[in-house]
Amino acid sequence: MAGSSADLALPGAMFSCGTCGAGLAFAGVRSETCPYCASPSVVERPPDPGRPQPELVVAFTGDAALARRQLERWLGSRTWFADARIKRARVEDLRGVYVPAYLYSAVAHTGYTASIGEQYTEIETRETTDPEGHKRTEVRTVTRTEYRPLSGHHVGYVTDLMVSASAGLTDAELAAIEPYDYLHLRRYSPALISGWIAEEFSRDPDDCRRASREAAVDDVGLRLRRFMPGDGHSDLAWRTSVTWESLAPVLVPVWVLAVRYRADRRPLRVVINGQTGAIAGKVPLAGWKIALAVLIAAGIAAAIAWLWHGGAP
Amino acid sequence: MTASACTRCQTALEDGDLRCAICALPVPAPDAAARPGDGAPRARILRCRECGAAIAFSPAARAPHCGFCGATMAIEQPVDPVEAAQRRVLFAVDRVAAEAALRGWLGSRGWFAPRALAGDAVFESLTPLSWAAWLVNAEARVAWTADSDAGAQRSAWAPHAGEASLAFRDIVVPASRGLREVEARLLIPYYDLNRMVRIDRDVDGELPEAVPGAVPGAAPGALPGAMIERFDAQRSAARRHVQERIAALARVRIEPRIPGRRYRNVHVACLLERQTTERIALPAWILAYRFRGQPYRAIVHGQRAEVVFGRSPVDWTKVGWLVAMLATAAAAAVALWLALR
Repeated sequence: MAGSSADLALPGAMFSCGTCGAGLAFAGVRSETCPYCASPSVVERPPDPGRPQPELVVAFTGDAALARRQLERWLGSRTWFADARIKRARVEDLRGVYVPAYLYSAVAHTGYTASIGEQYTEIETRETTDPEGHKRTEVRTVTRTEYRPLSGHHVGYVTDLMVSASAGLTDAELAAIEPYDYLHLRRYSPALISGWIAEEFSRDPDDCRRASREAAVDDVGLRLRRFMPGDGHSDLAWRTSVTWESLAPVLVPVWVLAVRYRADRRPLRVVINGQTGAIAGKVPLAGWKIALAVLIAAGIAAAIAWLWHGGAP
Repeated sequence: MTASACTRCQTALEDGDLRCAICALPVPAPDAAARPGDGAPRARILRCRECGAAIAFSPAARAPHCGFCGATMAIEQPVDPVEAAQRRVLFAVDRVAAEAALRGWLGSRGWFAPRALAGDAVFESLTPLSWAAWLVNAEARVAWTADSDAGAQRSAWAPHAGEASLAFRDIVVPASRGLREVEARLLIPYYDLNRMVRIDRDVDGELPEAVPGAVPGAAPGALPGAMIERFDAQRSAARRHVQERIAALARVRIEPRIPGRRYRNVHVACLLERQTTERIALPAWILAYRFRGQPYRAIVHGQRAEVVFGRSPVDWTKVGWLVAMLATAAAAAVALWLALR
């Protein structure tokens, strides 16, 4: 595979973030701040030749100005309870990063068992007595479900499962801005990411493979639920064996805004899909705003109660 | 075009494939020394011509500019290889037969069509078009589930599951942007795929009358005057389309294997293998005509003149009369019912 040769290594000087541990390649700079946690404690270190090299790249689409506009809209639409300091965050701090990830694919063979519910109707007759003591016969149609066992096999390819190989960006954060359109994948070359920050592959490939395999089994479970016949099912159990696994190192584009809005808190991080513009991030809430809202609500409730009781003390 | 096969599913890979379109297994990078020519425009780089950086790209401005120095950057966009049909099915319906078929079709549009349609329709153009399609062969392991009446107890249905190995041969999947999917599906069953020749081969007497005037997009050496549609769907996207079509076919092919006489809820899961895809062009005559100023389109099959379909005008006066008559009849029925009650 590509990437083993030195000429395909990440371009630029290698840096390590002293706060979050991300290994980053910055082209053409000698000092930096970490794009993931806004920490200034970024130190240069020699490149690690043992790290996996990317084989494929999803390229950035659009420009930083477009991403900034999306971010401004997103920040502006946050709830009234959001900490005002985050709303005042400088969107100029938005950084474009090529985040390392693995694209997993495999062949999945699954054996399953389930109870399949098949509905049928029955005519039910019952006798009732009305308040005057007259007996009446009621006839009604009742829908019931008969459960029948089913076992079988399911086959299919599991493709395009992405797992983060980044020390700075978690799987959950990456999943929040997926999907990427893999039709626009390109083969990696250093020139393709020249000028961007690129993080090197930090997570152990075996860990990523295990995580991907678990995700593959979950994915098969979702497919199986749609695969079941009948009017419903229960007790679905399955055992999946994956073969022909492939774990392709890929760089995906992410705009990252890391804001240290308080010294005693973890930095807020907003991430934007560099291809589709999908945004995800958690905005911290301002405690005093919540307390004020509760006080106002309690005051209104007390006033209503007072008026309800005729204004008597 | 075919370079090798995917090691996982044996599907044919083509030049430029990064991953197998069927199973997504990455294709190893070709050896730099063995890369053909490298004259082909396959590099895709955002690079500033002045300082070498790669920062700002303004899609609105079309020309990207470097955020550092403002200079124009050279963008090499990812381009799926431009694809063209490799073979075409021969025309068997000439212009005269196509026109006659259309006149017959216009004259049999039914009671709601304007009476003067066949006589007053003005043919604006009648164009022989070879429209784009994929010809697919593949094998698949198919797992299925369904409900059927076999083994039914209290419910009329009982669940069943099974597996089968199916082969799909000469499956035609539309790739045309010009024809709508529904139009292509009406044409496909009537093509004789045995009458295929190489795309650039002229066949004597096939269509003696060339279409007057140059037709844009005609491939050199192809059928005189006939337009050969380009494959402008992306190759990688196209194969996903092919997969969906094969899954739909698998569902139909599985149905005879379901026990019992009645069935429902048929689900299939396919593991496609050894897929090959050929790009072909299929013949049709496309008629653009006007009736009282409004444009319409009709299509004649390029091999079977009796297969004609399209849009035709409706005489709204007749429709209005019918609605009025029905409303009058309904009102009379209500009045009669009220009088007799």
